[in-house]
Amino acid sequence: MKKVVWLGLFLIGLFAALWAYLGTVNRGEFDSILLDFRADEAAEIEPALQAIAAEFGVEPRLNSSFSQAEQVYRVSGDRERLRALRRSPLAKLTERIEPNYRYHTLESPNDPDYPKQWNFRSINLEPAWDKTQGAGVTVAVIDTGIARVPDLEKTEFVEGYDFVNDRTDAADDNGHGTHVAGTIAQSTNNDYGVAGIAYRAKLMPLKVLSASGSGEVADIAEAIRFAADHQADVINLSLGGGGESQILRDAIDYAHDKGVVIVAAAGNANQNSATYPARYPHVIGVAALGPAGDKAPYSNFGAGIDIAAPGGSKVDGDLGGILQHTIDPATGQPIFAAYEGTSMAAPHVAGVAALVKASGIDNPDEVFNVLQQSARAVPDDALNYYGAGQLDAANAVQLAERGNVDFRDFFRWLRDNGYLNPRFWVDGGVAALLPKLLMVLGSYLLAIFLRYYFPFQWTWGLGAGLIAGSGGLFFLRGFYIFDLPQWPLRLVGSPIAEWGNVIQGSAVLNPAFASVLIPLGLILLLLGHPQGKGWAIGTTIGMAVFLGVAAIANPPLLWLGMGLPARSFLAINALLCLGLARLALKTEVRPA
Amino acid sequence: MSLQITGTIARPGLGPGTWAVITATGETYELKDPPSELKQVGLQVRLQGQLRPDVMTLAMIGPVLEIQSFTIVP
Repeated sequence: MKKVVWLGLFLIGLFAALWAYLGTVNRGEFDSILLDFRADEAAEIEPALQAIAAEFGVEPRLNSSFSQAEQVYRVSGDRERLRALRRSPLAKLTERIEPNYRYHTLESPNDPDYPKQWNFRSINLEPAWDKTQGAGVTVAVIDTGIARVPDLEKTEFVEGYDFVNDRTDAADDNGHGTHVAGTIAQSTNNDYGVAGIAYRAKLMPLKVLSASGSGEVADIAEAIRFAADHQADVINLSLGGGGESQILRDAIDYAHDKGVVIVAAAGNANQNSATYPARYPHVIGVAALGPAGDKAPYSNFGAGIDIAAPGGSKVDGDLGGILQHTIDPATGQPIFAAYEGTSMAAPHVAGVAALVKASGIDNPDEVFNVLQQSARAVPDDALNYYGAGQLDAANAVQLAERGNVDFRDFFRWLRDNGYLNPRFWVDGGVAALLPKLLMVLGSYLLAIFLRYYFPFQWTWGLGAGLIAGSGGLFFLRGFYIFDLPQWPLRLVGSPIAEWGNVIQGSAVLNPAFASVLIPLGLILLLLGHPQGKGWAIGTTIGMAVFLGVAAIANPPLLWLGMGLPARSFLAINALLCLGLARLALKTEVRPA
Repeated sequence: MSLQITGTIARPGLGPGTWAVITATGETYELKDPPSELKQVGLQVRLQGQLRPDVMTLAMIGPVLEIQSFTIVP
């Protein structure tokens, strides 16, 4: 049985690597197609353009006034039209027909009013978006409901409930809940309006406050239990007041026990101590910051403040407020509105809590810890205006990932070291960069699965071994240093299995190198060495992936050629490497 | 808990739909669903009502007062 599990895990790693490769190839977005006509067919171009216009109902245009010389025309169209054009007889007149891919940077969203969201810059959000946008997490907004304004169209919703009117449709008749929801998960990168923090998270609308903005504790407690029972991961409570309530306290404990992070606004009375529910244990009480990062004039402080986040201040006008898409309560029509209040501060924390949860931290106390530890502490805070400090999304996500999932850590390491820089494989021109990159990633994935079953201390030796075994420092092969021999670069730039090729100077794999032999030797030699062992195990796993991918990609093999014997040889050796890694890992002891 | 409050009607910016009364000593009470006659900023009023500790609001500006009767002070 275990063997089946092993084989399964290996195949998962392998297919993940291949799938990721194919995925990268096909992932480009385009909505127009470029036709590059051959210069020697100039006379045929005009009739061809007319034929295209007639057949597809689109008018080909020169890509720009500079395209005349090259005869590059553009037509609107998708993948299907691209295929049709390539199949049509016109294709013979062109040098190429290709998608006009759209390139955009991922760091800054394209929402036109995003520059007005000073609050997101002040929580250092963009670097966090590089790592996660909150996918897979559900945030319950317990408030006045949520209106599906246009800038929430691309945001996912799960079923909620209206506890005020006792119905499933939890629409908003006030505007507050929609605004709060927008801060958490406004549709982002949709070329419209503004951005939200965890924009790939799902929203659960729970209405407990009436149009006038008040609601009863009984409804709020029920809504908290509803959220906990319907797989919410985070609850935002931009509401407060009243006295202590055992019903509410019990509901909060219930949700906390179910793993829900509960965030609440500290209150807007500028008084010493947060209101309930922010003051309860297991609730993250959020004070508000103005645009300058200091305490907002209205924000409560003192007891119950755990952290501070932007709530805005409109003392100097709307630009100091928090801008989201919501409804005008007078007309019910969508408007972009700047609000201020601890009500706006809480969803910043709820949104970042969603990002932290999406980074793999489940326990609400750990999420709380991460948020507190990653906050930028404010010195000399005698009256506790800021709790642990100012919310910092990038720090929080980084801390969540550190010591949590090493795959991300490794991935980040790869990226920070330039392995994932697109320039390496777009401009580098070094052959087969992508498959090798993916071998590195695939082997890492495999190592994570292995660690799941066989605990061992993660070491950089293992990481280095994975690289040496699977892809090598492949980008070095593209480097040529004036007057120096290039073979050492080629050697470290190659996976161990290809060392034979470097020595022979050919593209044919040498079975002596592309087999279990070297990993076996390394393991036998280094098993007693604490650091060396990690490297040997890493090399073995990396080699398993290299050989597995090779068995599919089918490169020529010395003596065995390219057919079934070569593939079988590679596949068997991949499995042998895997078995060897497994045996070697058995000698590891789980650290206390 | 019934109480009498004299003060000025205000429309704090912290939340749509929120009305408040501010006393001469600067205490703020949030009004729960005030009658439309009272929805006028700057109005001097004398309110008879009771506090509602079981009610929470989005404005969170102070204790919630449910009005039982009121007089507008000329």
